[in-house]
Amino acid sequence: MSLEQIFVIGMFATFGLLLMTGFPVAWVLGGTAVIWTVIGLVAVENFGADLWFDYGSSLGLVPERSWNLVESDTLVALPMFIFMGIMLDQSGIAERLMNNMVKLFGAVRGGYAVTVIVIGVLLAATTGIIGASVVLLGMLSLPVMMANNYDKGFAVGTACATGTLGILIPPSIMLVLMADRLAVPEASVGDLFMGAFFPGLMLGAMYVAYALIRPAINPRIAPVPADLPTVDAGVLWDVVKAVVPTAALILGVLGSIFAGIATPTEASGVGALGAMLLALFNWRLSPAVLSDSLYQTTRTTAFIFAIFLGATAFSVVLRGLGGDRVIEDALLGLPFEPTGIVIAILVGVFLLGFFLDWVEITLIILPLVAPVVQNLGFDLVWFTILFAVCLQTSFLTPPVGFALFYIKGVCPPEIKVTDIYRGVVPYIILQLVALALVFLFPAIATWLPSVAFG
Amino acid sequence: MAEPEGPGSDRHAHLSRAEELLIHHVELPQTAISQALDAGLILLGKAASWLWLAVVGIIIYAVVGRYAFGSGSVTLEEWQWHIAGAAWLIGLSYTLATDDHVRVDVLHERFSLRTKGWIELFGILFLLLPFLGSALWEAIPYFHSSYLQDETSQAPAGLPNRWILKGVLALSFLLLIVAALSRLMRVTALLFGLPRPRRMGEAGNGGAPR
Repeated sequence: MSLEQIFVIGMFATFGLLLMTGFPVAWVLGGTAVIWTVIGLVAVENFGADLWFDYGSSLGLVPERSWNLVESDTLVALPMFIFMGIMLDQSGIAERLMNNMVKLFGAVRGGYAVTVIVIGVLLAATTGIIGASVVLLGMLSLPVMMANNYDKGFAVGTACATGTLGILIPPSIMLVLMADRLAVPEASVGDLFMGAFFPGLMLGAMYVAYALIRPAINPRIAPVPADLPTVDAGVLWDVVKAVVPTAALILGVLGSIFAGIATPTEASGVGALGAMLLALFNWRLSPAVLSDSLYQTTRTTAFIFAIFLGATAFSVVLRGLGGDRVIEDALLGLPFEPTGIVIAILVGVFLLGFFLDWVEITLIILPLVAPVVQNLGFDLVWFTILFAVCLQTSFLTPPVGFALFYIKGVCPPEIKVTDIYRGVVPYIILQLVALALVFLFPAIATWLPSVAFG
Repeated sequence: MAEPEGPGSDRHAHLSRAEELLIHHVELPQTAISQALDAGLILLGKAASWLWLAVVGIIIYAVVGRYAFGSGSVTLEEWQWHIAGAAWLIGLSYTLATDDHVRVDVLHERFSLRTKGWIELFGILFLLLPFLGSALWEAIPYFHSSYLQDETSQAPAGLPNRWILKGVLALSFLLLIVAALSRLMRVTALLFGLPRPRRMGEAGNGGAPR
């Protein structure tokens, strides 16, 4: 084993162990970088280790690399989308959608589950951090589904799985971050948004199909409520009033990016203004709500950028120690065809998703593996979407998926962990089917970006 | 029975509530000095948060301008990231003061308060402060050389005085160090009673008010 390999393994091991102590991720990354810089320098200078490593080309680069984050025009979209999500949430849209659509879909067997999925897809933009939408959907929908004697597993599985869709469906802040890290023109924010559009919708449609078919086969898991209010014009109008402005805002934001009318940053700013107006028209935009939303935007943005800073330090030191080459050699040394290497990476990502949130995986792992995949001749948009779906599946998988912990926190006490596990399994199968489909038919991801700017 | 106005609506399922459930704060005691420092950092961070509205405003102004006059403005684009950059750079220490930086709390949640205190102590001393120290150490000359060169944007219509934002970058590391030292005081107050902790509950025991 070469010295570089030992250093790389050591660095990742240090990071993984310290992470488990629960000290904030950002500082664990930064601290690990400092520790291994010291180890690297001591090894070179005191023990004459055969390693080309110095301070100036590793940790000394941190301010310069941090400046790249400040200087980025694309990354301005990150706080803007976060603010838009928080504002949309504050506007009370989610509750109104739930209350109104329940009336509309209530008569359909499995209708509440369908409602949850539709809301989840519409409000995917409110995903600031992984778990937020899982918690939101859980709090919103589980009491209603329980009150209607839905099967516990079916109810909780649906809320949990739908919550994870948010990290994939554009405008997703994960995709903004991924585009920034990939830093290649053929996988810009716009390209990734477009690439994720059909896979996201396809997953949503598969979820809805499952939520309708399963109760049709086994009516016991989703009883139809006995005393339904009749669907009249008033109910329909309420639904339209709740759905149309939100859908119009999100489609407007995406559409203007897809049509090349606006850059993602421009669209994010316009989206933020639109969400504020929605809140205003719903009489929810008090000074207190506005200031709280702004403060929350700062805290969410700051913790993501803090991890960014830590990951920057980690990456420059890892690169300084020869980590890039080690990873590349390790991947290319796998006894597989190029396709097999991609599958191996995805399996690795799936496993890492058990321990790390998407922020760290995107910031550290994606830039290490993406160049290798690109050199093998694969489409980066396609690969990144696979990467994203894979992460999303990982967050859903028992026993350690993140989404499961989050949903547990908001479950009514009668729902047991085993109910959650049982409930998510069908959705995991759907995820794997979607992953396989995108893998076998890359056009699902690559078609839209190819026609939009081409 | 369908009860549309039922449990779903009266619980006001908002993200702010959701994030309270997601982020687990270490319940450290406050001390006289750390409380004052945290209050200052939080005030600064909240003030900086209003810059997001300015960013929204500039983006809208730029978009409208582009459609009205048909040309993009590099100046406005640079204003966007200058202001957004300043907002999150200052927000970093605010977020540290409110203990909102994410942790992996699979195990952390099960530790006792004292164990968490020891983790914080070692983490701040051996991970956070060395990282911030080295970053500040490098950021100051980085800022200084920009100032000496009177660095401006490379774009023709770009903004002058780039050193200001590079100064904010260095300042943000300095503020983070202040926030880290304040937190260190709270940790030693918990573990060793030094500096003297204020009575629990007196000044909020789950972190400073957000």
